Amino acid sequence: MSSDLQWLLIRKYNSFMVKKVPEGPVFSREAGNLPNLHSYKYSGLANAKTIAVTDTGSNIQLSYSKKGASPNAVKPAKATYSIRSRSGPRRSLGAAAKLSKRGYRPDLRPVLLARVSALSATKKEPKSWPAKKPRGKKAKAATA
Amino acid sequence: MASRPTVNVRSAAGEATTSLPLPAVLTAPIRLDVVQQVHKSLAKNKRQAYAVNVKAGHQTSAESWGTGRAVARIPRVGGGGTHRSGQAAFGNMCRGGRMFAPTKTWRKWHVKVNQNQRRFAVVSALAASALPSLVLARGHRIEEIEEVPLVVASAVESFVKTKEAVALLKTLNAYPDVVKVSTSRKLRAGKGKLRNRRHRQRRGPLIVYNEDNGIVKAFRNLPGVELVNVRRLSLLQLAPGGHLGRFVIWTESAFGLLDEVFGTFDTAAVYKKDYLLPTAKISNPDVTRLINSSEIQAVVRPAGPKTQKRPWSQKKNPLTNKAVLFRLNPYAKAYRKQQLEKKSEKSKKEKAAGEAFLGTLFAP
Repeated sequence: MSSDLQWLLIRKYNSFMVKKVPEGPVFSREAGNLPNLHSYKYSGLANAKTIAVTDTGSNIQLSYSKKGASPNAVKPAKATYSIRSRSGPRRSLGAAAKLSKRGYRPDLRPVLLARVSALSATKKEPKSWPAKKPRGKKAKAATA
Repeated sequence: MASRPTVNVRSAAGEATTSLPLPAVLTAPIRLDVVQQVHKSLAKNKRQAYAVNVKAGHQTSAESWGTGRAVARIPRVGGGGTHRSGQAAFGNMCRGGRMFAPTKTWRKWHVKVNQNQRRFAVVSALAASALPSLVLARGHRIEEIEEVPLVVASAVESFVKTKEAVALLKTLNAYPDVVKVSTSRKLRAGKGKLRNRRHRQRRGPLIVYNEDNGIVKAFRNLPGVELVNVRRLSLLQLAPGGHLGRFVIWTESAFGLLDEVFGTFDTAAVYKKDYLLPTAKISNPDVTRLINSSEIQAVVRPAGPKTQKRPWSQKKNPLTNKAVLFRLNPYAKAYRKQQLEKKSEKSKKEKAAGEAFLGTLFAP
């Protein structure tokens, strides 16, 4: 089944579509949709080759379709690759970009990096700031 | 088709044991428009007749007062001693009148759909149920299952206990779809609550069997799970709401019977008279592949440059842009030079006033 035809079948209606803003952008929440936009290019359902980036909690996981997998296979058709936890944003981006370098959906490279970058930003430990010194009235109250 | 793809048959323990060739019906053309239209009509065939009381709004002996009484000529209730007397009656615009075009029980409730169209829709819906992306797009939780179409051994048909059924769905990783149904159960909005439609919930997997040796009783209490004999597949179950891609779990013998029930592209079905599967209008619907094929590329014009040049240069205002002005008016340059020289001469000439002048200016 060609991806073009599959896109025509799911374009008008599918369970992942999010049409909340009237006249606004149509979003999509399926797994393989990197910018979460409802379009053929980014569709995680219609395209034969897709990349899904998920946060497993401990690390960031990339899953992509295996080469030569049967069109009927669901779970076995996906290969997963985890970016090691505690690897910083530069290393994570490098690991993610490897797929594009190999020629696997090079058109998705910018959105893939954007998603990995956003996820790795959430992994950052919050900076610890020194405790605020009391000023003015509170300082007086503290010394007294 | 080069080689017919095969589908694994899974035992009750979940591992693939044997394999079956993919029935022809699962490669039939998928026509969303046909499915939607046929579903719209078929869904109407379960309706029950309803109508308002034929007498409603007409149980009064109202007569028009005619002209000359400075009131509208609508029939009015006669008599006195009650508020009703003198009030307008019958009309759809009247309080207590009948509705406009009262509904009748002899409305056309059922819609006839041509047999071939019905079969086309069922065949389309079946073909859609064999594509993982369409089943996912319908909302079924099948991310963890091995394969679509999912075929299990015929031994499942003799399951009698729901416990066995749950265990099977869990080993097939299909149980999340049942859980989804269970969590989706909500109280229905409106009067349907009083009319035996108290809850609404999603649809779960459809289990297709060949022979019921207990399978129906084993599965039927699971929320959202529906069971059907392979000979009686219905569009209402294969594409609920007209949406393609129901998650179907087949038993081995039911799956093997599909070629007999629906026939193939060149042999007629056993269970339907002279029925051949509909063929696709084009054999290769892959648009990208078609465009990039050597046959097409051989006849198309070579691609032009990616950025197009503007056919005209950008408009410049000659009144403010000197270069454009000089191009349009060759004299302008000389004229401007003259003007500038004149100006500089003038400024040279301007000197402080002479003594003679000042002497005469300030009279003593």
